[in-house]
Amino acid sequence: MFLIGLTHYLILSAAVLCCGLFVMMTKRNAIGILIGVELVLNSVNINFVAFDRYRPDGGFDGQVAALFVIVLAAAEAAVAVAICMNLYKNINTIDVDRGDALHG
Amino acid sequence: MRCTGSARFATSSMSTLSNYETYLILGVLIPFVSFVILMLFGPRLGKPLAGWVAVAAMGASCVLATMTLVGWRGEDSIARMSLAANAAEHQFHWADMGSVAIHIGVKLDSLTVIMFFMVTFISFWIFVFSVGYMAGHSDEVGGKSKYHRFFCYLSLFGFSMLGLVVSSNLLFLFIFWELVGLCSYLLIGFYFDKKFASNAAMKAFITNRVGDFGFIFGLMMVFFFLGTLDLDRAAAVFAEQYHGHTGLFEDGFVLDIFGLELSGMALATAMGIGLFCGAMGKSAQFPLQVWLPDAMAGPTPVSALIHAATMVAAGVYLVARVFRLLTPDAQMFIAVIGCITLTLMALVAIVQTDIKKCLAYSTLSQLGYMIFGLGVGAWIAALFHLMTHAFFKAMMFLGSGQVIEGCHHEQDMRKMGGLMKKMPMTGLTFLVGVLAISGFGIPATQFGLGGFFSKDEILAVAWDRSHMWNEPIGHHDDGGHAGGTATADRVAHGFSRGGHEHVDRSSPPPLKRWATHVELASDQHGGGGHADGPHEADAHGDGVNRAGIAPLPKWMFWCAIITAYVTPFYMMRAWWMTFMGKPRDEQVYEHAHESPLMWVPLVVLAVFTLVSSYWLFRPMLADAAPEATDAVLVVGLDGTAAAVDGAAIHLHAAHRWLAYGVGGSWLIAFVVAFAIYRNGLAVGTRLKSLFGPIATLLERKYYFDEFYGFLFVRGCVVVAHVCRFFDTYVIDMLANLSAKITERFAVFSGRGVDAYIVDGVFNGVAGTAMDISDVVRSPQTGRIRNYVMFAAGGAAIVILLLLFFDGSAGARAALTSMNS
Repeated sequence: MFLIGLTHYLILSAAVLCCGLFVMMTKRNAIGILIGVELVLNSVNINFVAFDRYRPDGGFDGQVAALFVIVLAAAEAAVAVAICMNLYKNINTIDVDRGDALHG
Repeated sequence: MRCTGSARFATSSMSTLSNYETYLILGVLIPFVSFVILMLFGPRLGKPLAGWVAVAAMGASCVLATMTLVGWRGEDSIARMSLAANAAEHQFHWADMGSVAIHIGVKLDSLTVIMFFMVTFISFWIFVFSVGYMAGHSDEVGGKSKYHRFFCYLSLFGFSMLGLVVSSNLLFLFIFWELVGLCSYLLIGFYFDKKFASNAAMKAFITNRVGDFGFIFGLMMVFFFLGTLDLDRAAAVFAEQYHGHTGLFEDGFVLDIFGLELSGMALATAMGIGLFCGAMGKSAQFPLQVWLPDAMAGPTPVSALIHAATMVAAGVYLVARVFRLLTPDAQMFIAVIGCITLTLMALVAIVQTDIKKCLAYSTLSQLGYMIFGLGVGAWIAALFHLMTHAFFKAMMFLGSGQVIEGCHHEQDMRKMGGLMKKMPMTGLTFLVGVLAISGFGIPATQFGLGGFFSKDEILAVAWDRSHMWNEPIGHHDDGGHAGGTATADRVAHGFSRGGHEHVDRSSPPPLKRWATHVELASDQHGGGGHADGPHEADAHGDGVNRAGIAPLPKWMFWCAIITAYVTPFYMMRAWWMTFMGKPRDEQVYEHAHESPLMWVPLVVLAVFTLVSSYWLFRPMLADAAPEATDAVLVVGLDGTAAAVDGAAIHLHAAHRWLAYGVGGSWLIAFVVAFAIYRNGLAVGTRLKSLFGPIATLLERKYYFDEFYGFLFVRGCVVVAHVCRFFDTYVIDMLANLSAKITERFAVFSGRGVDAYIVDGVFNGVAGTAMDISDVVRSPQTGRIRNYVMFAAGGAAIVILLLLFFDGSAGARAALTSMNS
């Protein structure tokens, strides 16, 4: 029978991570990149929870870490949106390719 | 007074100054005081007063000089000698030059006394004249009055000239010598805003420098060889060295001057000629005569005082003072120079139309006579001529000043004529001068004016030198004593006058034929007795000869004789053109007038010329002569006259025939001048065209100015051009070349080394860094998406590496165990 095990979670997590990375790499909209970041963070959360579920001694460290990540993501989103606002204020767009003043 | 130095100076330092010394020193210093006063307060004293200050000072000096003269005449010869010795002891120690002590002192002898009197007396009257002269002359230069300056310079001149006369030391003589030269320069250029005057002043000064160069050369030789600059000591050392074959006369000593090897007698001759060079400049002798006619650009009193009576005579005075240091060869040189001058300049005077220029050339000619006289050995006669000439020439110059002043600055004699009626005093006094310079006198009597005696004496000595000295050596004919009243006049003896010790230099120094010292003693006027016999050598039995000393060439004697005829002619011509005949220019004639301040000095000087001929001056000079001419080598024919062996010495047959042959020259020349200029200038002009080129030659003064202008002035310019050429093309070229090389090197090091190597290294390093950084920075796109990609890619690579290499086994095992 087809049993859902750790491997499947890890595969899901990897898939979400890849989606997130892909979004981050391809989106020119800053909000889109923010969404990609959220996807990456969520893939991490899946990993934390999955490893916590399957750890032999039955602790909850992984779930606690996932909660921290969620809180962190919320804070990060707030900061990121603020950055987006400033970006818009300075260059009248949130197209990240236009904000390349730090190029070498 | 500090008396140090040699024993001679130290002996009687306790003794006091004699009155004469005091008078002379005061007489020198008073004009200096006047000079200082005029220099400091001159402008405040104003127009006539400044002049009178100078006159008063010179008057005081003149009074002192007269006191000295009168007192001195009262002394007998022993007293004079002790006074002179006393003066010689009062030497103020001034400075040391190496081992040689320089002393200031008064040279007290008859020559000093008489010269001092002459200078102060003439100066005083010329100063008086100057006050009158300057009253009518512009004294403004550039709108400011220079009146006081004129008298300031005159006073300085008086001081310098008197200092020159009394100096006992050649160095001080030289210092005063230069001071009178300076005064001459300042006074010739008194109207320095006029180009010709300033040019004339420069010409006079520069020409004198040429002569002074020789003078300094002579002084250095005296200093070096004789080791003293004191006149008496130098003469003593000179004689000592001659006897002892030391110093100058050291055997085998050779002085190499620019390849000219001099030794012994030739060296002494060079020293004498060097000293004479100074006289050549100051007394304007050929070939340095060019400055004197131009010096007439100065005010006329200056011409009278400086350029006729006193300063130009300083050269003659110098030669007379250093007479004891001369050699026969140097004397011959002096005689030749004097002869050339007296002849050439007298001829130029014939064609002069400017009254002052005519007198200037006459002065040159007469100075030539004096120098010639010293050259042939007529010491007394030359100085006698100096004295008489000073009086009458000063007077004639003042007369010409009166004429010029009266005729409103007209100097051209062609425009004058008939002035006798308007200026009788001037005309008459001028005539006295003309007669005096012409040698007016009645032959065979004792009556005559100054020139009659003085010139005659010079000619007599010249006759003796030229005609009686060419007898062959060893020809001693004792048969010529005539009348027995006078012994033969030629006494040859050794070095000591008394002892007749004959030093036979039969093996003379290599260069010259000098055999022995010969003194010819003569006294042309002594006792009025004239020996009739020919001049034969009285050998005093010791085989003396006078060989060695060359007789005077005959042409020199004849030149002097001919000039004696020329002189009265041009003087009479000048007088006649100016004062007699018909007035040729009404305007000049109308204005002519006299002023008492000017003719009184003329009359005084004229009276002096009339009375002061033979009796006043000559005894004094004859008194000074024995000491002044007592030398081992020099030919002093009239100086030692009475002294030799106590013999009464005599005289020349020459003198008798000269008295007739030349004594009447003035009459003949006057008649010729009268014949030509009696009716105005027509005959003269015709004669001039008849002579054509000769007259032109004379009018252009033998083209001396042109010649010097070409040789020296142009020469200087050419040398300057050569220097400039050298400067431009050699110095500048070298400078430019080195600059070019430096520049090229700079370009090379700048553009080559610096730009390519140094900069290349730095730019290369920097460029490389840039290139590297370009490569390195290329990933730094500034795009977030790229960064994300790099980060992700990097992480992926790390993970893959971990998986496949390092921790691959453990990781796989972990994965496997979790799956299971």
